[in-house]
Amino acid sequence: MRTLLKKLSDNRGISPVTICLWIVVLAGLAVFPKFVDSPYALHIMILLFLSTIMGESWNILGGYTGQYSVGHAAYFGVGAYTTMMLMQYKQIPPWYGMWVGAAVVVVVALVIGSICFRLRGPYFVLASIAVAEILRLVAMNLKDFTNGAEGILATEIPPFKIGETVVTDFLSKVPFYYIGLVFAVVTIIVTVLVQHSKLGYYFQAIREDQDAAHSLGINLAFHKNVALLFSAVLTSMAGSFYAIYIGFIDPPTVLALDISVQIVLICIIGGIGTIYGPVVGSLVLVPLSEALRSNLIAQGIFKLGLASEESAVGIFLKEHLAHAHALIYGILVVVVILFMPDGVLGFVKKLFTARKRENA
Amino acid sequence: MTVLLQSLISGILIGGVYALIGIGLTIIFGVMRVINFAHGDILMLGMYLTYNLFTKLGIDPYVSVLICIPVMFIYGGLLQKIFINRMLGALPQNQILLTIGLGLIMSNTMMLIYTSDYKILTTSYSSSSVNVAGISVSEPLAISFLITAAITTALYWFLMKTDTGQAIRATAQDREAAQLMGINVKWMSILAFGMGSALAATAGALISPTYYIFPQVGSTFTLKAFVITVLGGMGSIVGATLGGIIIGVAESVGAVYISSGWKDVIVFVLFILVLLFKPAGLMGKSRM
Repeated sequence: MRTLLKKLSDNRGISPVTICLWIVVLAGLAVFPKFVDSPYALHIMILLFLSTIMGESWNILGGYTGQYSVGHAAYFGVGAYTTMMLMQYKQIPPWYGMWVGAAVVVVVALVIGSICFRLRGPYFVLASIAVAEILRLVAMNLKDFTNGAEGILATEIPPFKIGETVVTDFLSKVPFYYIGLVFAVVTIIVTVLVQHSKLGYYFQAIREDQDAAHSLGINLAFHKNVALLFSAVLTSMAGSFYAIYIGFIDPPTVLALDISVQIVLICIIGGIGTIYGPVVGSLVLVPLSEALRSNLIAQGIFKLGLASEESAVGIFLKEHLAHAHALIYGILVVVVILFMPDGVLGFVKKLFTARKRENA
Repeated sequence: MTVLLQSLISGILIGGVYALIGIGLTIIFGVMRVINFAHGDILMLGMYLTYNLFTKLGIDPYVSVLICIPVMFIYGGLLQKIFINRMLGALPQNQILLTIGLGLIMSNTMMLIYTSDYKILTTSYSSSSVNVAGISVSEPLAISFLITAAITTALYWFLMKTDTGQAIRATAQDREAAQLMGINVKWMSILAFGMGSALAATAGALISPTYYIFPQVGSTFTLKAFVITVLGGMGSIVGATLGGIIIGVAESVGAVYISSGWKDVIVFVLFILVLLFKPAGLMGKSRM
């Protein structure tokens, strides 16, 4: 065990303390549903996992390779649609369907990559948006194939069996909790491995200076596409998971520009190009938007006596604050970009180093 | 044949308004190299301003252009001064995200105030048309095209003939050299963003009699504005005018001969083809 820890920390630059912390946190998360059985708490946790998966997967392409895709809804949506359509129309259970989804996304990503990676900077961003928009419009218009704007509703998820024993029947939120947890951990591990591998160094070299990386013999197109494949496949897993968990998908909820922007925001707010950035971003964004959606904040304002529930302001807040989560997103982005360009994580780090310097 | 001619003409007319949107974006990009993702949202603000002027004060949408231009010019200038000027040296990605954030704030604030209901501005001439040589031309589209043409000409004259216009063009050509020549580039940036916003809002005012007004309408136009400017060549005003008209025609001909659901797909496919095969756009310089 000790040698394993040492080996890990030697090769990957991870300290044993970090690994122990990880084990503690994971153990805590693993037993969480045993102690908390409120479906709402589990729901929030599942959303946190989902958001972490989305953020980490974008981070591989956007954070480490420096290719700011604002079209990740394409991979999210294609994954979601493939899994959902296979389950609803062909009765293929989602735990097989999602691999088909991932395979389809590989093809889609290679096509998108071959188009978009010829472009740089803002033009890459625009092209990635355009491709995702094309997919959304296609899903909207191919009514016979995708059911168009009406979307697809999951009627029943088949129980997951190994042999004859039923492992889970997906009737509570607990199985989703564990699936989400495992996916989130897997994406984080993939990111860690990528970051500390030769491949990861190539990615970061491309991010820092494409031309310099190219002159050192790094095949730009190839490595950008590899980063995209990692990122896209993980995003498609998130999409499949979302589709099965929520049980309903339509083009605006899985393929729209909003989804792409939201994925980027998770990383921007947490900190781009860091392993824990997307986790921090999710911890900020998910509780905040859920609190707004369920009107917790309006109720908090009433309790604190800042506004009475019957006053005009109170009624306005009660009716509208639930729809305001995107407004808060906007304000957060502007504040983060202007005042903490390295995200919350970078900001906190800077505060700490500043304090250290003062003490020294 | 009449159908083709008809859709061609209405495409050119709507293309005039698109050109206005594209010119606004291209001026901002030209001077600051910032891609303004809030462009459509500024247009949306113009639509709501026009809607309010019409319903509350009874001002005709085309007359309200005269109010829209100064109000939104100041609004855009303030946006530039408060937010975007701080980000001019930053990574282009961060600039994009900043404007996305500003756009989200605009559209969601409007949603808080007006809810996400679709509003319709009905004027006496909203659905009337004039008959020219057997081809019927929508009256609001025709009027808005004339206004667009007037504004574009005035703008062109301003940029080409006046000192300030030349200073703006100089800043667009080479920011540092312009600064060395004693041009106040920060002020030029404020002017450019103000002009871009005023143009977008004018376009919003002009289409409000024929379009649904709702807080999320902006993103469609932001994307359209990108397509138009990239098609024409980023930073080129003539290019944006041409791009606007091409997109207008592609949309209206596509809607007639293919289907209205697929017309946006045509626009985006056209966009990607241009990015791939003529990345400099029709009138622009290379960007690779």
